[in-house]
Amino acid sequence: MIISQFMTQEHRKCDTEFAAAEQAVANGNWSETEEKFLAFSNNTLKHFKREEMELFPAFEAQTGSSEGPTQVMKHEHEQVRGLMGKMAESIESQDKDAYLSLCESMMILLQQHNMKEEQMLYAMCDRVLPSELKESTLSKMKHVEL
Amino acid sequence: MFSQNGLSLDQAPPISVVFRFFFSGALFGILAGILILFFQNHIFDASDIKAVILTHTLTLGAMLSFMFAALFQMLPVIAGVALPSPVKKANAMQYPFVLGVFSLLLAFNFSTPWLFITASFLLGGSLLYIALVMLKNLWKLPNHSSSSKGMLTALLSLTIVILLALYLTGTLGGLLEGNYYTQIKTAHYSFGLFGWIALLILSISFQVIEMFYVTPSYPKLVSQYLPLTLFTLLTMTTIIGVFNPSIWVASHILIALILIGYSLLTLKRLTQRKRPLADATVWFWRLGLSSLIASMLTLFITNFTELSWVKSLSYIFFASFALSIVFAMFYKIVPFLTWFHLNSQGYFTAPMMHEVIHPKTAKKHLYIHLTTIVIFVLSLFIHLFIFLAGMLTILSFGWIAWQIIHAWKLYNYTQETGEKFDMSSM
Repeated sequence: MIISQFMTQEHRKCDTEFAAAEQAVANGNWSETEEKFLAFSNNTLKHFKREEMELFPAFEAQTGSSEGPTQVMKHEHEQVRGLMGKMAESIESQDKDAYLSLCESMMILLQQHNMKEEQMLYAMCDRVLPSELKESTLSKMKHVEL
Repeated sequence: MFSQNGLSLDQAPPISVVFRFFFSGALFGILAGILILFFQNHIFDASDIKAVILTHTLTLGAMLSFMFAALFQMLPVIAGVALPSPVKKANAMQYPFVLGVFSLLLAFNFSTPWLFITASFLLGGSLLYIALVMLKNLWKLPNHSSSSKGMLTALLSLTIVILLALYLTGTLGGLLEGNYYTQIKTAHYSFGLFGWIALLILSISFQVIEMFYVTPSYPKLVSQYLPLTLFTLLTMTTIIGVFNPSIWVASHILIALILIGYSLLTLKRLTQRKRPLADATVWFWRLGLSSLIASMLTLFITNFTELSWVKSLSYIFFASFALSIVFAMFYKIVPFLTWFHLNSQGYFTAPMMHEVIHPKTAKKHLYIHLTTIVIFVLSLFIHLFIFLAGMLTILSFGWIAWQIIHAWKLYNYTQETGEKFDMSSM
Protein backbone atom coordinates (compact mmCIF):
# COMPACT_ATOMS: atom_id res chain seq x y z
CA MET A 1 0.00 0.00 0.00
CA ILE A 2 2.96 2.37 -0.50
CA ILE A 3 1.22 4.42 -3.20
CA SER A 4 -1.91 4.86 -1.10
CA GLN A 5 0.08 5.83 1.97
CA PHE A 6 2.26 8.45 0.30
CA MET A 7 -0.47 10.04 -1.78
CA THR A 8 -3.03 10.08 1.05
CA GLN A 9 -0.49 11.86 3.28
CA GLU A 10 -0.10 14.49 0.57
CA HIS A 11 -3.87 15.00 0.45
CA ARG A 12 -3.96 15.59 4.19
CA LYS A 13 -1.09 18.06 4.02
CA CYS A 14 -2.91 20.05 1.34
CA ASP A 15 -6.09 20.02 3.45
CA THR A 16 -4.20 21.53 6.36
CA GLU A 17 -2.72 24.25 4.16
CA PHE A 18 -6.16 24.96 2.69
CA ALA A 19 -7.61 25.36 6.19
CA ALA A 20 -4.74 27.69 7.19
CA ALA A 21 -5.47 29.98 4.22
CA GLU A 22 -9.19 29.99 5.09
CA GLN A 23 -8.32 30.87 8.68
CA ALA A 24 -6.18 33.78 7.50
CA VAL A 25 -9.09 35.13 5.40
CA ALA A 26 -11.44 34.74 8.36
CA ASN A 27 -8.96 36.82 10.41
CA GLY A 28 -8.86 39.42 7.63
CA ASN A 29 -5.10 38.98 7.22
CA TRP A 30 -4.61 39.16 3.44
CA SER A 31 -0.81 38.99 3.34
CA GLU A 32 -0.89 35.79 5.38
CA THR A 33 -3.71 34.50 3.16
CA GLU A 34 -1.56 35.02 0.10
CA GLU A 35 1.31 33.09 1.66
CA LYS A 36 -0.87 30.18 2.86
CA PHE A 37 -2.88 30.02 -0.36
CA LEU A 38 0.34 29.86 -2.35
CA ALA A 39 1.56 26.96 -0.21
CA PHE A 40 -1.76 25.15 -0.72
CA SER A 41 -1.96 25.73 -4.46
CA ASN A 42 1.70 24.94 -5.14
CA ASN A 43 1.57 21.68 -3.22
CA THR A 44 -1.74 20.68 -4.77
CA LEU A 45 -0.47 21.40 -8.28
CA LYS A 46 2.75 19.49 -7.56
CA HIS A 47 0.65 16.55 -6.37
CA PHE A 48 -1.41 16.67 -9.59
CA LYS A 49 1.78 16.79 -11.64
CA ARG A 50 3.11 13.73 -9.81
CA GLU A 51 -0.04 11.87 -10.73
CA GLU A 52 -0.29 13.05 -14.32
CA MET A 53 3.42 12.61 -15.14
CA GLU A 54 4.18 9.38 -13.31
CA LEU A 55 1.37 7.53 -11.57
CA PHE A 56 -1.37 7.71 -14.19
CA PRO A 57 0.87 6.72 -17.12
CA ALA A 58 2.18 3.73 -15.11
CA PHE A 59 -1.37 2.69 -14.29
CA GLU A 60 -2.55 3.18 -17.87
CA ALA A 61 0.36 1.15 -19.26
CA GLN A 62 -0.29 -1.66 -16.80
CA THR A 63 -4.05 -1.84 -17.38
CA GLY A 64 -3.99 -0.86 -21.06
CA SER A 65 -6.64 1.76 -20.42
CA SER A 66 -6.09 5.48 -20.90
CA GLU A 67 -9.75 6.44 -21.06
CA GLY A 68 -10.83 5.00 -17.75
CA PRO A 69 -10.61 6.43 -14.25
CA THR A 70 -7.40 8.39 -14.89
CA GLN A 71 -9.20 10.43 -17.54
CA VAL A 72 -11.89 11.41 -15.02
CA MET A 73 -9.25 12.32 -12.45
CA LYS A 74 -7.45 14.54 -14.97
CA HIS A 75 -10.74 16.25 -15.81
CA GLU A 76 -11.30 16.93 -12.12
CA HIS A 77 -7.77 18.32 -11.78
CA GLU A 78 -8.74 20.84 -14.46
CA GLN A 79 -11.84 21.81 -12.47
CA VAL A 80 -9.68 22.34 -9.37
CA ARG A 81 -7.18 24.44 -11.35
CA GLY A 82 -10.08 26.60 -12.60
CA LEU A 83 -11.32 27.20 -9.06
CA MET A 84 -7.81 27.99 -7.87
CA GLY A 85 -7.63 30.77 -10.46
CA LYS A 86 -10.88 32.25 -9.19
CA MET A 87 -9.67 32.03 -5.57
CA ALA A 88 -6.48 33.87 -6.51
CA GLU A 89 -8.61 36.61 -8.13
CA SER A 90 -10.69 36.99 -4.99
CA ILE A 91 -7.50 37.33 -2.89
CA GLU A 92 -6.29 40.00 -5.26
CA SER A 93 -9.53 41.95 -4.91
CA GLN A 94 -9.65 41.11 -1.17
CA ASP A 95 -13.22 39.86 -1.55
CA LYS A 96 -13.80 37.85 1.62
CA ASP A 97 -17.30 36.61 0.78
CA ALA A 98 -16.26 35.43 -2.69
CA TYR A 99 -13.18 33.66 -1.28
CA LEU A 100 -15.17 31.85 1.41
CA SER A 101 -17.85 30.85 -1.10
CA LEU A 102 -15.18 29.47 -3.44
CA CYS A 103 -13.63 27.67 -0.45
CA GLU A 104 -16.86 25.72 0.03
CA SER A 105 -16.94 24.54 -3.59
CA MET A 106 -13.21 23.80 -3.59
CA MET A 107 -13.36 21.83 -0.37
CA ILE A 108 -16.19 19.55 -1.48
CA LEU A 109 -14.78 19.16 -4.99
CA LEU A 110 -11.34 18.29 -3.66
CA GLN A 111 -12.62 15.95 -0.99
CA GLN A 112 -14.87 14.05 -3.40
CA HIS A 113 -11.90 13.77 -5.72
CA ASN A 114 -9.53 12.66 -2.95
CA MET A 115 -12.00 10.10 -1.68
CA LYS A 116 -12.29 8.47 -5.06
CA GLU A 117 -8.53 8.40 -5.48
CA GLU A 118 -7.87 7.05 -2.00
CA GLN A 119 -10.57 4.42 -2.04
CA MET A 120 -10.38 3.34 -5.65
CA LEU A 121 -7.56 4.58 -7.83
CA TYR A 122 -4.65 4.34 -5.36
CA ALA A 123 -5.96 1.01 -4.09
CA MET A 124 -6.13 -0.20 -7.70
CA CYS A 125 -2.58 1.07 -8.36
CA ASP A 126 -1.31 -0.74 -5.29
CA ARG A 127 -3.06 -3.88 -6.49
CA VAL A 128 -2.19 -3.96 -10.20
CA LEU A 129 1.32 -2.48 -10.32
CA PRO A 130 4.15 -5.01 -9.74
CA SER A 131 6.10 -4.12 -6.60
CA GLU A 132 9.26 -3.05 -8.44
CA LEU A 133 7.30 -0.72 -10.69
CA LYS A 134 5.49 0.63 -7.66
CA GLU A 135 8.79 1.44 -5.93
CA SER A 136 10.22 3.13 -9.02
CA THR A 137 7.02 5.11 -9.73
CA LEU A 138 6.96 6.32 -6.13
CA SER A 139 10.59 7.34 -6.30
CA LYS A 140 10.02 9.22 -9.58
CA MET A 141 6.97 10.95 -8.11
CA LYS A 142 9.02 12.17 -5.15
CA HIS A 143 11.41 13.87 -7.55
CA VAL A 144 8.73 15.74 -9.51
CA GLU A 145 8.88 19.49 -8.98
CA LEU A 146 6.53 22.22 -10.13
CA MET B 1 -19.43 7.35 -17.68
CA PHE B 2 -16.14 5.61 -16.96
CA SER B 3 -15.88 2.36 -15.16
CA GLN B 4 -13.36 -0.29 -14.53
CA ASN B 5 -13.67 -3.53 -12.55
CA GLY B 6 -17.16 -2.47 -11.62
CA LEU B 7 -15.81 0.76 -10.18
CA SER B 8 -17.20 4.01 -11.35
CA LEU B 9 -15.49 7.32 -10.96
CA ASP B 10 -18.44 9.42 -12.00
CA GLN B 11 -18.88 12.32 -9.68
CA ALA B 12 -22.52 13.07 -9.27
CA PRO B 13 -25.94 11.75 -10.23
CA PRO B 14 -28.28 13.97 -12.30
CA ILE B 15 -29.32 16.95 -10.21
CA SER B 16 -33.04 16.15 -10.55
CA VAL B 17 -32.58 12.78 -8.82
CA VAL B 18 -31.26 14.35 -5.63
CA PHE B 19 -33.52 17.43 -5.70
CA ARG B 20 -36.74 15.45 -6.16
CA PHE B 21 -36.15 13.39 -3.01
CA PHE B 22 -35.27 16.45 -0.95
CA PHE B 23 -38.40 18.15 -2.29
CA SER B 24 -40.78 15.27 -1.56
CA GLY B 25 -39.21 14.98 1.91
CA ALA B 26 -39.92 18.67 2.51
CA LEU B 27 -43.54 18.29 1.36
CA PHE B 28 -44.08 15.34 3.71
CA GLY B 29 -42.55 17.49 6.46
CA ILE B 30 -45.09 20.24 5.74
CA LEU B 31 -47.84 17.59 5.86
CA ALA B 32 -46.49 16.50 9.26
CA GLY B 33 -46.79 20.09 10.49
CA ILE B 34 -50.42 20.27 9.28
CA LEU B 35 -51.21 16.95 10.97
CA ILE B 36 -49.75 18.26 14.25
CA LEU B 37 -52.23 21.17 14.11
CA PHE B 38 -55.10 18.65 13.81
CA PHE B 39 -53.82 15.93 16.15
CA GLN B 40 -52.45 18.28 18.84
CA ASN B 41 -51.17 16.58 21.99
CA HIS B 42 -52.43 13.14 20.93
CA ILE B 43 -49.14 12.85 19.05
CA PHE B 44 -47.37 12.27 22.37
CA ASP B 45 -49.41 9.17 23.23
CA ALA B 46 -47.60 6.27 21.53
CA SER B 47 -50.70 4.06 21.77
CA ASP B 48 -52.84 6.60 19.88
CA ILE B 49 -53.17 5.98 16.14
CA LYS B 50 -52.62 9.72 15.55
CA ALA B 51 -49.10 9.35 16.95
CA VAL B 52 -48.51 6.38 14.62
CA ILE B 53 -49.71 8.41 11.62
CA LEU B 54 -47.49 11.38 12.46
CA THR B 55 -44.48 9.12 13.15
CA HIS B 56 -44.81 7.49 9.73
CA THR B 57 -45.32 10.83 7.97
CA LEU B 58 -42.03 11.98 9.47
CA THR B 59 -39.92 8.83 9.41
CA LEU B 60 -41.22 7.26 6.21
CA GLY B 61 -42.40 10.27 4.21
CA ALA B 62 -39.86 12.93 5.18
CA MET B 63 -36.79 11.13 6.58
CA LEU B 64 -36.69 8.28 4.09
CA SER B 65 -36.99 10.72 1.18
CA PHE B 66 -34.18 12.87 2.59
CA MET B 67 -32.02 9.84 3.20
CA PHE B 68 -32.49 8.57 -0.33
CA ALA B 69 -31.54 12.03 -1.63
CA ALA B 70 -28.32 11.73 0.37
CA LEU B 71 -27.78 8.10 -0.69
CA PHE B 72 -28.16 8.81 -4.42
CA GLN B 73 -25.62 11.63 -3.96
CA MET B 74 -23.17 9.90 -1.63
CA LEU B 75 -23.04 6.39 -3.12
CA PRO B 76 -20.89 7.40 -6.12
CA VAL B 77 -18.61 9.52 -3.95
CA ILE B 78 -18.19 7.55 -0.77
CA ALA B 79 -18.51 4.06 -2.17
CA GLY B 80 -17.74 4.50 -5.86
CA VAL B 81 -21.14 3.09 -6.77
CA ALA B 82 -22.85 4.89 -9.62
CA LEU B 83 -26.24 3.35 -10.23
CA PRO B 84 -26.96 2.82 -13.92
CA SER B 85 -29.95 4.87 -15.21
CA PRO B 86 -30.47 6.75 -11.93
CA VAL B 87 -33.41 8.80 -13.27
CA LYS B 88 -35.36 5.68 -14.23
CA LYS B 89 -34.57 4.10 -10.88
CA ALA B 90 -35.60 7.23 -9.01
CA ASN B 91 -38.90 7.32 -10.94
CA ALA B 92 -39.53 3.61 -10.39
CA MET B 93 -39.06 4.12 -6.69
CA GLN B 94 -40.53 7.54 -5.98
CA TYR B 95 -44.00 7.38 -7.53
CA PRO B 96 -45.10 4.10 -5.95
CA PHE B 97 -43.36 5.19 -2.74
CA VAL B 98 -45.35 8.43 -2.45
CA LEU B 99 -48.62 6.63 -3.25
CA GLY B 100 -47.65 3.93 -0.75
CA VAL B 101 -47.06 6.43 2.05
CA PHE B 102 -50.49 7.99 1.47
CA SER B 103 -52.13 4.55 1.37
CA LEU B 104 -50.47 3.63 4.64
CA LEU B 105 -51.45 6.88 6.37
CA LEU B 106 -55.05 6.47 5.20
CA ALA B 107 -55.00 2.80 6.20
CA PHE B 108 -53.92 3.75 9.73
CA ASN B 109 -56.57 6.48 9.92
CA PHE B 110 -59.51 4.40 8.67
CA SER B 111 -58.25 0.92 9.70
CA THR B 112 -59.02 -0.31 6.19
CA PRO B 113 -57.54 -3.76 5.43
CA TRP B 114 -57.36 -3.31 1.63
CA LEU B 115 -55.46 -0.04 2.07
CA PHE B 116 -52.90 -1.89 4.21
CA ILE B 117 -52.52 -4.46 1.42
CA THR B 118 -52.18 -1.69 -1.20
CA ALA B 119 -49.57 0.07 0.96
CA SER B 120 -47.70 -3.23 1.38
CA PHE B 121 -47.40 -3.71 -2.37
CA LEU B 122 -46.49 -0.10 -3.16
CA LEU B 123 -44.05 0.48 -0.30
CA GLY B 124 -42.67 -3.06 -0.15
CA GLY B 125 -42.16 -3.15 -3.91
CA SER B 126 -40.55 0.29 -4.31
CA LEU B 127 -38.37 0.21 -1.21
CA LEU B 128 -37.21 -3.38 -1.51
CA TYR B 129 -36.41 -2.74 -5.16
CA ILE B 130 -34.19 0.28 -4.53
CA ALA B 131 -32.62 -1.16 -1.35
CA LEU B 132 -31.68 -4.37 -3.17
CA VAL B 133 -30.31 -2.47 -6.22
CA MET B 134 -28.09 -0.39 -3.92
CA LEU B 135 -27.09 -3.42 -1.84
CA LYS B 136 -26.16 -5.40 -4.96
CA ASN B 137 -23.91 -2.59 -6.20
CA LEU B 138 -22.32 -2.08 -2.80
CA TRP B 139 -21.76 -5.80 -2.39
CA LYS B 140 -19.71 -5.97 -5.59
CA LEU B 141 -17.15 -3.40 -4.42
CA PRO B 142 -13.61 -4.78 -4.32
CA ASN B 143 -12.38 -2.11 -1.89
CA HIS B 144 -14.55 -1.23 1.07
CA SER B 145 -14.20 1.84 3.27
CA SER B 146 -15.75 2.00 6.71
CA SER B 147 -18.45 4.26 5.24
CA SER B 148 -19.33 1.91 2.39
CA LYS B 149 -19.48 -1.02 4.83
CA GLY B 150 -21.67 1.06 7.12
CA MET B 151 -23.99 2.01 4.25
CA LEU B 152 -24.28 -1.63 3.33
CA THR B 153 -25.23 -2.50 6.91
CA ALA B 154 -27.74 0.38 7.02
CA LEU B 155 -29.38 -0.79 3.79
CA LEU B 156 -29.54 -4.35 5.14
CA SER B 157 -31.31 -2.87 8.17
CA LEU B 158 -33.72 -1.03 5.89
CA THR B 159 -34.51 -4.31 4.13
CA ILE B 160 -35.25 -5.89 7.50
CA VAL B 161 -37.38 -2.87 8.53
CA ILE B 162 -39.47 -3.33 5.37
CA LEU B 163 -39.84 -7.09 5.80
CA LEU B 164 -40.93 -6.62 9.42
CA ALA B 165 -43.33 -3.86 8.30
CA LEU B 166 -44.83 -6.22 5.73
CA TYR B 167 -45.57 -8.70 8.52
CA LEU B 168 -47.35 -5.92 10.42
CA THR B 169 -49.35 -4.59 7.45
CA GLY B 170 -50.07 -8.17 6.36
CA THR B 171 -51.59 -8.76 9.80
CA LEU B 172 -53.56 -5.49 9.76
CA GLY B 173 -54.69 -6.31 6.21
CA GLY B 174 -56.06 -9.65 7.40
CA LEU B 175 -53.61 -11.80 5.42
CA LEU B 176 -51.62 -13.05 8.42
CA GLU B 177 -52.62 -14.18 11.90
CA GLY B 178 -49.99 -12.00 13.52
CA ASN B 179 -49.11 -14.21 16.46
CA TYR B 180 -45.88 -12.27 17.00
CA TYR B 181 -47.34 -8.84 16.24
CA THR B 182 -46.09 -7.05 19.40
CA GLN B 183 -42.58 -8.49 19.20
CA ILE B 184 -42.26 -7.69 15.50
CA LYS B 185 -43.54 -4.17 16.09
CA THR B 186 -40.76 -3.54 18.65
CA ALA B 187 -38.18 -4.99 16.26
CA HIS B 188 -39.61 -2.88 13.39
CA TYR B 189 -39.24 0.48 15.10
CA SER B 190 -35.94 -0.43 16.77
CA PHE B 191 -34.42 -1.44 13.43
CA GLY B 192 -35.97 1.64 11.79
CA LEU B 193 -34.65 4.16 14.31
CA PHE B 194 -31.29 2.62 15.20
CA GLY B 195 -30.47 0.19 12.37
CA TRP B 196 -31.56 2.43 9.51
CA ILE B 197 -31.64 6.12 10.51
CA ALA B 198 -28.87 6.19 13.15
CA LEU B 199 -26.65 3.69 11.35
CA LEU B 200 -26.82 5.49 8.01
CA ILE B 201 -26.07 8.87 9.60
CA LEU B 202 -23.23 7.34 11.59
CA SER B 203 -21.72 5.67 8.50
CA ILE B 204 -21.88 8.79 6.38
CA SER B 205 -20.42 10.85 9.23
CA PHE B 206 -17.27 8.71 9.32
CA GLN B 207 -16.39 10.28 6.01
CA VAL B 208 -18.17 13.62 5.78
CA ILE B 209 -17.08 15.03 9.16
CA GLU B 210 -13.46 14.58 8.16
CA MET B 211 -14.17 15.69 4.60
CA PHE B 212 -16.26 18.84 5.16
CA TYR B 213 -14.56 20.17 8.26
CA VAL B 214 -11.01 18.76 8.04
CA THR B 215 -10.93 16.90 11.34
CA PRO B 216 -8.80 13.98 12.50
CA SER B 217 -10.27 10.72 11.22
CA TYR B 218 -12.31 8.47 13.51
CA PRO B 219 -10.42 5.71 15.34
CA LYS B 220 -10.40 2.59 13.13
CA LEU B 221 -11.95 0.53 15.92
CA VAL B 222 -15.01 2.80 15.87
CA SER B 223 -15.46 3.29 12.13
CA GLN B 224 -14.79 -0.36 11.27
CA TYR B 225 -16.78 -2.13 13.96
CA LEU B 226 -19.47 0.21 15.29
CA PRO B 227 -21.99 -0.29 12.43
CA LEU B 228 -21.60 -4.06 12.50
CA THR B 229 -21.89 -4.15 16.31
CA LEU B 230 -25.15 -2.18 16.19
CA PHE B 231 -26.52 -4.37 13.41
CA THR B 232 -25.56 -7.64 15.16
CA LEU B 233 -27.04 -6.41 18.43
CA LEU B 234 -30.34 -5.53 16.73
CA THR B 235 -30.49 -8.81 14.80
CA MET B 236 -29.80 -10.96 17.86
CA THR B 237 -32.28 -9.03 19.99
CA THR B 238 -34.95 -9.41 17.30
CA ILE B 239 -34.49 -13.20 17.23
CA ILE B 240 -34.32 -13.63 21.02
CA GLY B 241 -37.07 -11.00 21.45
CA VAL B 242 -39.61 -13.21 19.66
CA PHE B 243 -39.46 -15.60 22.63
CA ASN B 244 -38.33 -13.20 25.34
CA PRO B 245 -39.49 -9.61 24.62
CA SER B 246 -37.91 -8.19 27.79
CA ILE B 247 -34.48 -8.59 26.14
CA TRP B 248 -35.21 -5.30 24.33
CA VAL B 249 -34.72 -3.35 27.57
CA ALA B 250 -31.11 -4.50 27.84
CA SER B 251 -30.58 -4.03 24.12
CA HIS B 252 -31.93 -0.47 24.13
CA ILE B 253 -29.65 0.41 27.06
CA LEU B 254 -26.62 -0.94 25.17
CA ILE B 255 -27.64 0.91 21.99
CA ALA B 256 -28.10 4.11 24.02
CA LEU B 257 -24.58 3.77 25.45
CA ILE B 258 -23.07 3.10 22.01
CA LEU B 259 -24.81 6.10 20.43
CA ILE B 260 -23.89 8.41 23.32
CA GLY B 261 -20.25 7.33 22.91
CA TYR B 262 -20.42 7.97 19.15
CA SER B 263 -21.99 11.42 19.68
CA LEU B 264 -19.37 12.50 22.21
CA LEU B 265 -16.61 11.35 19.90
CA THR B 266 -18.07 13.24 16.95
CA LEU B 267 -18.64 16.39 19.00
CA LYS B 268 -14.97 16.20 20.00
CA ARG B 269 -13.98 15.76 16.35
CA LEU B 270 -15.90 18.95 15.52
CA THR B 271 -13.91 20.89 18.14
CA GLN B 272 -10.70 19.59 16.51
CA ARG B 273 -11.66 20.79 13.02
CA LYS B 274 -9.04 22.76 11.12
CA ARG B 275 -11.52 24.82 9.09
CA PRO B 276 -12.08 27.91 11.19
CA LEU B 277 -15.61 29.03 10.43
CA ALA B 278 -18.49 27.50 12.36
CA ASP B 279 -21.19 27.85 9.69
CA ALA B 280 -24.80 26.74 10.15
CA THR B 281 -23.97 23.16 9.13
CA VAL B 282 -21.47 22.79 12.00
CA TRP B 283 -24.17 23.98 14.40
CA PHE B 284 -26.76 21.63 12.83
CA TRP B 285 -24.32 18.76 13.48
CA ARG B 286 -23.75 19.92 17.06
CA LEU B 287 -27.48 20.27 17.67
CA GLY B 288 -28.14 16.86 16.12
CA LEU B 289 -25.49 15.07 18.16
CA SER B 290 -26.51 16.79 21.41
CA SER B 291 -30.12 15.81 20.65
CA LEU B 292 -29.02 12.20 20.15
CA ILE B 293 -27.33 12.23 23.56
CA ALA B 294 -30.47 13.73 25.15
CA SER B 295 -32.66 11.20 23.35
CA MET B 296 -30.57 8.24 24.49
CA LEU B 297 -30.38 9.51 28.09
CA THR B 298 -34.16 9.89 28.24
CA LEU B 299 -34.58 6.47 26.59
CA PHE B 300 -32.39 5.06 29.35
CA ILE B 301 -34.50 6.80 32.03
CA THR B 302 -37.78 5.45 30.56
CA ASN B 303 -36.78 2.05 31.90
CA PHE B 304 -37.03 3.34 35.45
CA THR B 305 -40.04 5.67 35.35
CA GLU B 306 -43.72 5.60 34.43
CA LEU B 307 -43.77 9.26 33.43
CA SER B 308 -45.01 9.38 29.84
CA TRP B 309 -43.41 12.75 29.06
CA VAL B 310 -39.94 11.24 29.49
CA LYS B 311 -40.68 8.87 26.61
CA SER B 312 -42.07 11.77 24.55
CA LEU B 313 -38.91 13.74 25.22
CA SER B 314 -36.88 10.83 23.88
CA TYR B 315 -38.92 10.87 20.63
CA ILE B 316 -38.67 14.65 20.22
CA PHE B 317 -34.91 14.60 20.69
CA PHE B 318 -34.50 11.67 18.30
CA ALA B 319 -36.45 13.56 15.63
CA SER B 320 -34.28 16.60 16.34
CA PHE B 321 -31.16 14.44 15.91
CA ALA B 322 -32.21 12.98 12.57
CA LEU B 323 -33.57 16.21 11.08
CA SER B 324 -30.65 18.38 12.23
CA ILE B 325 -28.16 16.09 10.49
CA VAL B 326 -30.32 15.92 7.36
CA PHE B 327 -30.45 19.73 7.27
CA ALA B 328 -26.66 19.91 7.76
CA MET B 329 -26.21 17.64 4.72
CA PHE B 330 -28.84 19.55 2.74
CA TYR B 331 -27.04 22.89 3.07
CA LYS B 332 -23.84 21.35 1.69
CA ILE B 333 -25.31 19.12 -1.02
CA VAL B 334 -27.85 21.41 -2.72
CA PRO B 335 -25.59 24.47 -3.29
CA PHE B 336 -22.67 22.25 -4.27
CA LEU B 337 -24.65 20.22 -6.79
CA THR B 338 -26.12 23.35 -8.39
CA TRP B 339 -22.68 24.89 -8.84
CA PHE B 340 -21.02 21.61 -9.78
CA HIS B 341 -23.43 20.59 -12.54
CA LEU B 342 -23.46 24.06 -14.12
CA ASN B 343 -19.68 24.35 -13.85
CA SER B 344 -19.24 20.89 -15.40
CA GLN B 345 -21.52 21.92 -18.27
CA GLY B 346 -19.11 24.78 -18.97
CA TYR B 347 -21.14 27.78 -17.75
CA PHE B 348 -18.92 30.75 -16.87
CA THR B 349 -21.85 32.21 -14.98
CA ALA B 350 -22.43 29.17 -12.73
CA PRO B 351 -23.55 30.61 -9.37
CA MET B 352 -21.20 30.13 -6.44
CA MET B 353 -22.44 28.06 -3.50
CA HIS B 354 -23.17 31.17 -1.43
CA GLU B 355 -25.29 32.54 -4.27
CA VAL B 356 -27.42 29.38 -4.31
CA ILE B 357 -28.00 29.39 -0.56
CA HIS B 358 -26.34 32.13 1.45
CA PRO B 359 -24.86 31.08 4.84
CA LYS B 360 -27.18 33.63 6.52
CA THR B 361 -30.22 31.83 5.02
CA ALA B 362 -29.00 28.53 6.49
CA LYS B 363 -28.39 30.21 9.84
CA LYS B 364 -31.94 31.61 9.90
CA HIS B 365 -33.22 28.08 9.35
CA LEU B 366 -31.03 26.86 12.20
CA TYR B 367 -32.79 29.32 14.54
CA ILE B 368 -36.22 28.28 13.25
CA HIS B 369 -35.34 24.60 13.73
CA LEU B 370 -33.93 25.17 17.24
CA THR B 371 -37.03 27.17 18.24
CA THR B 372 -39.24 24.35 16.89
CA ILE B 373 -37.50 21.80 19.11
CA VAL B 374 -37.76 24.03 22.19
CA ILE B 375 -41.47 24.71 21.56
CA PHE B 376 -42.14 20.97 21.13
CA VAL B 377 -40.53 20.31 24.52
CA LEU B 378 -42.56 23.11 26.11
CA SER B 379 -45.77 21.78 24.55
CA LEU B 380 -45.40 18.65 26.70
CA PHE B 381 -46.14 20.87 29.70
CA ILE B 382 -48.11 23.79 28.21
CA HIS B 383 -50.50 22.13 25.76
CA LEU B 384 -51.41 25.21 23.74
CA PHE B 385 -47.80 25.44 22.52
CA ILE B 386 -48.47 22.47 20.24
CA PHE B 387 -50.15 24.83 17.73
CA LEU B 388 -47.02 26.94 17.61
CA ALA B 389 -44.92 23.77 17.25
CA GLY B 390 -47.08 22.68 14.30
CA MET B 391 -46.77 26.04 12.58
CA LEU B 392 -43.01 26.13 13.14
CA THR B 393 -42.74 22.62 11.64
CA ILE B 394 -44.55 23.87 8.53
CA LEU B 395 -42.25 26.91 8.40
CA SER B 396 -39.11 24.78 8.84
CA PHE B 397 -39.94 22.31 6.06
CA GLY B 398 -41.40 25.12 3.92
CA TRP B 399 -38.00 26.84 4.25
CA ILE B 400 -36.31 23.72 2.87
CA ALA B 401 -38.86 23.42 0.03
CA TRP B 402 -38.28 27.05 -0.91
CA GLN B 403 -34.50 26.62 -1.00
CA ILE B 404 -34.89 23.70 -3.44
CA ILE B 405 -37.27 25.69 -5.65
CA HIS B 406 -34.85 28.64 -5.56
CA ALA B 407 -31.84 26.43 -6.45
CA TRP B 408 -33.79 24.71 -9.23
CA LYS B 409 -34.92 28.05 -10.69
CA LEU B 410 -31.37 29.38 -10.55
CA TYR B 411 -30.11 26.21 -12.23
CA ASN B 412 -32.61 26.52 -15.08
CA TYR B 413 -32.10 30.28 -15.39
CA THR B 414 -28.33 29.80 -15.77
CA GLN B 415 -28.89 27.08 -18.36
CA GLU B 416 -31.21 29.35 -20.34
CA THR B 417 -29.28 32.60 -20.13
CA GLY B 418 -25.73 31.75 -19.01
CA GLU B 419 -22.64 32.08 -21.16
CA LYS B 420 -21.15 28.72 -21.93
CA PHE B 421 -17.68 27.51 -22.64
CA ASP B 422 -18.02 25.58 -25.91
CA MET B 423 -16.69 22.11 -25.09
CA SER B 424 -17.34 20.82 -28.61
CA SER B 425 -14.69 23.14 -30.03
CA MET B 426 -12.03 21.41 -27.93
